[in-house]
Amino acid sequence: MSTDTIWVRRPTATPAGEVSAPTFRLDRPLAGCTIGLRTDRAWRSWRTISTIWDGYLRRDGAHTIAIETGAQVGRPAAGDRKHIEELAGLVDAAIVGLGTCGSCTTFTIKDAVTVEEHEKPVVAIVCEEFTVHAHNVARHVGHSEMNVLVLPYPLEARPVEELEQIARDYYPKVLELLGVSS
Amino acid sequence: MSLTSERVEVPADAREFYARAFQERWTDGLPLLPATDDAVDALLDASPYPADHVVCVLPPVNGVATVELVAVNAALAGVEPAAFGFVLAALEALSEPEWNAFGLTTTTSSVFPMLIVNGPSRDDLGIDFRAGCMGGAAGRGSMTIGRAVALCIRNIGGQRAGETTKSVFGQPARTGFCIGEWEERSPWPSLAERRGFSADDDVVTVHGGKGTFPMADIHNDDARDLLYLIARSMAYPLANMFLGNVENGEVVVAFNPMWAERFGNIFPDIDDLTRYLRDNAWQPIDLWPEANAKLLRDRGRVDGQGRVHLVERPDQIVPIVCGGLGSLHAIALPSFGESTMQSKPVVRPT
Repeated sequence: MSTDTIWVRRPTATPAGEVSAPTFRLDRPLAGCTIGLRTDRAWRSWRTISTIWDGYLRRDGAHTIAIETGAQVGRPAAGDRKHIEELAGLVDAAIVGLGTCGSCTTFTIKDAVTVEEHEKPVVAIVCEEFTVHAHNVARHVGHSEMNVLVLPYPLEARPVEELEQIARDYYPKVLELLGVSS
Repeated sequence: MSLTSERVEVPADAREFYARAFQERWTDGLPLLPATDDAVDALLDASPYPADHVVCVLPPVNGVATVELVAVNAALAGVEPAAFGFVLAALEALSEPEWNAFGLTTTTSSVFPMLIVNGPSRDDLGIDFRAGCMGGAAGRGSMTIGRAVALCIRNIGGQRAGETTKSVFGQPARTGFCIGEWEERSPWPSLAERRGFSADDDVVTVHGGKGTFPMADIHNDDARDLLYLIARSMAYPLANMFLGNVENGEVVVAFNPMWAERFGNIFPDIDDLTRYLRDNAWQPIDLWPEANAKLLRDRGRVDGQGRVHLVERPDQIVPIVCGGLGSLHAIALPSFGESTMQSKPVVRPT
């Protein structure tokens, strides 16, 4: 060692090894399937889009189960996570959103992980600004291959007509990511 | 002690080391002290745990915080060995699931761990609880313990602005926030005692605070009136707690010792004080525009008198006593909402 240098210890953690849980596909037509829709009461835009998708899914022969979440800690969160766990057990696939803030993206991914842990197809819905964050969270919880559908950002403050158009435009992509076959 | 973290050769010159810390992305922007083996060993000697003991797993990237890695970050911050246990206690507290570290380290909010220390070691370690305790007092304990926790979140948890955290503004506390309570000037049991600890215990309580919200008054000598105004002020219309679940989160309110004495005279039982604060921390539903008001009504937040309360229960308002004797001011530490404060005792080698 040079007299002009010293030895110190690196303060950063060694990145966890890349682990990726498997993802799943429906590989069958939508008709007769039960699809879960997870909403977040914080986001009115997502409620609009998911309501439209709910109608499309039923139009296409699926049954739907919609649940609304809204908590991260305490008794309300325990109820939310219990409902997600139950939903994951009941459905054939699920659509989970919305990631359009930091912590809500984190919990969107966490709830989508619950569905994947039941070996069911899932797509996490996030807005463009939160795409990298969503993939980071998915990677750090060991689900780096999770299906993430990116919607335009911001959704809030858009006219209803624009949200309806976004719902129409992105519905086929949701089905593709869930692995719906014709 | 045999250290296992990676050794790195760095410049011995302080300014060159500072530049290298930027290159390595170890720093929050402020200068660091080199984490030499001697410095790290001295901290580990002050811990009851082995170096490879896992304190917690820190989000956002779920880095494993061993005692050794925490000691490396504490050495960078200049933590004294006698204060190292406070860093460990804070990390243990914020990693409790109900603190919601994964949510709080990734949110768009400014929220960050705010450390409140109780116990006999405050003065010995330079943990500020008198004048300027929330910034400017410059006690070594406050500045280094808070910063060490922040560096652990940055370097072990991988929290990086604009990358792994979506925090829009951040806040000054993101380089560390650690205060003590002026227990000797409080008319009530200390925060730690109210949370089940002994007055002889050194305890760290971690609050997910969004910032410092200042309040002041010089116009009213009636303590009850003043508390009423403090309660109403804490219930500002865009507080997070009007966005989320009324039963989650706590608001810390720091009273200066002069005001605390006056408040203690009319509310010697702190439960009566917090009940009064809770009952007066509200705004009329008419204050909000219809879009907001509709959601508050839909969520059952409006009571029979048309009031929207900030919190559901008195225990969600958490008074502490600290600050200088100049009176006139109080500070609230508003909550993220979806987080529950946690307390841990400082554990030392036997």
